[in-house]
Amino acid sequence: MSPFAVAGNIRMADKELDAGKRRFLIAATSVAGGVATGATAVPFVASMLPSERAKAAGAPVEADISGLAPGGLMRVEWRGKPVWIVRRTKEMLELVKASDERVADPNSKRQPDYTPPYARNEFRSIKPEYLVVVGICTHLGCSPVDKLKAEPEPFDANWKGGFYCPCHGSLFDLAGRVYKNKPAPDNLPVPPHTYLSENKILIGEDQEGA
Amino acid sequence: MSRAWKLLLVLLLAPALVLAAEDARLDRAPIDEHDLVSLQRGAKIYVNYCLGCHSAGYMRYNRLEDFALTPQQIRDNLIFTGAKVGDLMKNSMDPKDAKEWFGGVPPDLTVIARSRASPAGSGADWLYTYLRSFYRDPSRPTGWNNVVYRDVGMPHVLWKLQGEQELRTEVVVIARSDDEEDVEKREVQKLVLARPGTMSALEYDLLVRDLVNFLVYMAEPAKRTRIEVGIFVLLLLGVFFALAYALKKEYWKDVQ
Amino acid sequence: MAAGEKEPVTGAGPFNGLLTWVDRRFPLIQLWREHLSEYYAPKNFNFWYYFGSLAILVLVIQIVTGIFLTMHYKPDAAQAFASVEYIMREVPGGWLIRYMHSTGASAFFIVVYLHMFRGLLYGSYRQPRELIWIIGMMIYLCLMAEAFFGYLLPWGQMSYWGAQVIINLFDAIPWIGPTLAIWIRGDYVVADATLNRFFALHVIGIPLLLLGLVVAHIMALHEVGSNNPDGVEIKQHKDPRTGRPLDGVAFHPYYTVKDLMGAAFFLILFCIVMFFMPEFGGYFLEYNNFIPADPLKTPPHIAPVWYFTPYYSILRAVTEDFMIVLALGVAAYAALIWLTVERFRTKVTAAAVAAVLIFFMKGPEQFVIDPKVWGVAMMGAGTLIYFLLPWLDRSPVKSIRYKGPITKAALALFVVSFLALGYLGTLSVTESRTLAAQIFTLAYFAFFLLMPWYTAIDRTRPEPSRVTWEGAH
Repeated sequence: MSPFAVAGNIRMADKELDAGKRRFLIAATSVAGGVATGATAVPFVASMLPSERAKAAGAPVEADISGLAPGGLMRVEWRGKPVWIVRRTKEMLELVKASDERVADPNSKRQPDYTPPYARNEFRSIKPEYLVVVGICTHLGCSPVDKLKAEPEPFDANWKGGFYCPCHGSLFDLAGRVYKNKPAPDNLPVPPHTYLSENKILIGEDQEGA
Repeated sequence: MSRAWKLLLVLLLAPALVLAAEDARLDRAPIDEHDLVSLQRGAKIYVNYCLGCHSAGYMRYNRLEDFALTPQQIRDNLIFTGAKVGDLMKNSMDPKDAKEWFGGVPPDLTVIARSRASPAGSGADWLYTYLRSFYRDPSRPTGWNNVVYRDVGMPHVLWKLQGEQELRTEVVVIARSDDEEDVEKREVQKLVLARPGTMSALEYDLLVRDLVNFLVYMAEPAKRTRIEVGIFVLLLLGVFFALAYALKKEYWKDVQ
Repeated sequence: MAAGEKEPVTGAGPFNGLLTWVDRRFPLIQLWREHLSEYYAPKNFNFWYYFGSLAILVLVIQIVTGIFLTMHYKPDAAQAFASVEYIMREVPGGWLIRYMHSTGASAFFIVVYLHMFRGLLYGSYRQPRELIWIIGMMIYLCLMAEAFFGYLLPWGQMSYWGAQVIINLFDAIPWIGPTLAIWIRGDYVVADATLNRFFALHVIGIPLLLLGLVVAHIMALHEVGSNNPDGVEIKQHKDPRTGRPLDGVAFHPYYTVKDLMGAAFFLILFCIVMFFMPEFGGYFLEYNNFIPADPLKTPPHIAPVWYFTPYYSILRAVTEDFMIVLALGVAAYAALIWLTVERFRTKVTAAAVAAVLIFFMKGPEQFVIDPKVWGVAMMGAGTLIYFLLPWLDRSPVKSIRYKGPITKAALALFVVSFLALGYLGTLSVTESRTLAAQIFTLAYFAFFLLMPWYTAIDRTRPEPSRVTWEGAH
């Protein structure tokens, strides 16, 4: 074989090796570069999560229910949202039972997150006497008006007591459950809460062992 | 080119020579930033002795969980006001009152350890020396002065623990040659413990060390994370650089 | 394919179709070819040629980190300092973004100064690249303004007093000074109004300007083609078949790959500083700036940030005593022009300008302008004199490699002066330091002002016709 041919062959072999090596290096560098870029993105994305200040402002809130009269409603702010505590009388609890057929989701099955396990019962609360719900309509976020008395109302001649949202007419019963055929899809959420004592509810924290 | 590099090097090193001439010798602060117990003690000293006048308004109580404390422990031992554990470490010193009492508002100390750094030493060194350099001075309104911070408005808050130091002038005799007569007499000022406090000198130094340790931590709580992430990032970049270098060499083989 | 339609895109795998669609509506492939795959750059780029792409990298870093900082920063005198500490402690990853931005600011100047120095070394400002140089100088001025505005934002003691001192320089300008200073500040002293407008300028005003100038800078470069360490024009020797410069290589992939490697190494150095010494001995994050701004208490040592210190030195060097030296210098310069330049108009203009200057420097009492104002003028001149370089350099060759010993010595002296002035600017004033600053100030200006003469008479070596290159390294 002539020297030129040998040289030619070596160059050919070199070129193939080069192309393979080149492809590997491009791939490897791209992967490393991708990992580096991803790692760099982490602090930037994380920086948009709630800061310590936001988390501190969203800390649990204590509500003192000692002054709450039977049949009365108390408003507490938690995470910038209104939380209602209603001290239900025996009659109101009966009215809740009577509303079972009129509400869309009587057992709070649709959105499990809206009802913590300790509130997944007939009256959607830890103690039947006290209802604790977030007072924001599950339709588009207005805050419903309390219509706790069971008397005829313009929006319902057979009103059993509960809440009426003025924005688009959604109705909720005295356990915060949404009525059938209304714009709002879900029951009012029950926030995580626990009883620190007979008179103090801590809103924002689950019960021990919950 | 090499001469220029040498010149550059000399110029870059020159600062070291000049800076050595700065005044105020500072003691090295013997802090160990990994000693969580020291940091816990330092936090305790801070809230007990300092927080009344000096707010730490950029620091939240719950950040102290970095020292392996639980929120309940913080609530029980370190919060003496009605503050919640998620609140900022503020105090209720009225600036107007402070001006009347001390001649100035006691500064917030959250980042004091960073602001007191200088060519003479780190911020920790300054604080460590400062807190051990108070001495009795009847000419001052508070009765106290400080060697590191002349005519400071702050009284010696920890005096009961350290005791009372005094600034005494001593005449030091330095021999200039073998001749006994040929001497130099220099006046040197020294801090001397005139009346001891409840702690020995060593105990007090350890207390100040813990407090300074805490102040250094408070000035930059993210420091430990910063260093840990840094090591990881540099390893990653090292790998990336090695690959990028290999890639460059491979392509540049083409070029004659 | 219809007549006159562009060729479809190939070589992009699954994206061929999409890219063809785009290319028919946007000059995508044309731009790719003109500026990357068929932009031929000299193959002998060395270490000094990394800094252009690094400058772009740092610009991107500053913009991205800046955007995320702006999400949390409060441009209010009462809240600014606290908001920075909020970012450092309470925003997840905030400390990292802040350190990236502060390290990036200093890194930007290191990179830009080295980038400019490359220009000085290889005559990159010479014809036909004068405009690239001028645009570059405008970028430099914008960068200094950007840094100045940005530095006020943390609202620490250095921020406040540094701004106060610099704006007071404008106050020194005769007649319009005081009004101008109030207009800049929006108040009688640096105050909340100042902070708000500096925020606007720093966050969007100057960055938009910078981006436009950087685009123009690269367009001007690509129009003419890059210079190289030998100062040889590679377009003069093209391959007759392809029309490509014989000494050129396609920017992509050769320089994209090389710049990627350069960027990786730069990021290693950057990260070492950022993660392990972000304060950098008080030069990148000044200790005094950890004290909230106090309009009633000036810190004992105010110094501008390190990248401004050379010019600050020049400012402080101009004392009452120095005015005599300056006046003599102006006279000597005019004499030099009179004796060596042939054109009568130039001679007369020089003499007239010199006379006016000397009149206002050392003339009758009521007309003399304060040394303080001359200091400001000299400082300004120190930053602006670079604009004149393309016309000051009369050497027959471009690159330092072929220039003579006088030019090499002058450049070395310039570097020493610049560094010395920079270092002196960080220190407090003493008599000997002022004297040193004055000597170095004269050397600094002499580098430029005497250049037409020493570059013309210097003994140069002939420039090669092709680049010198030992092979890839």
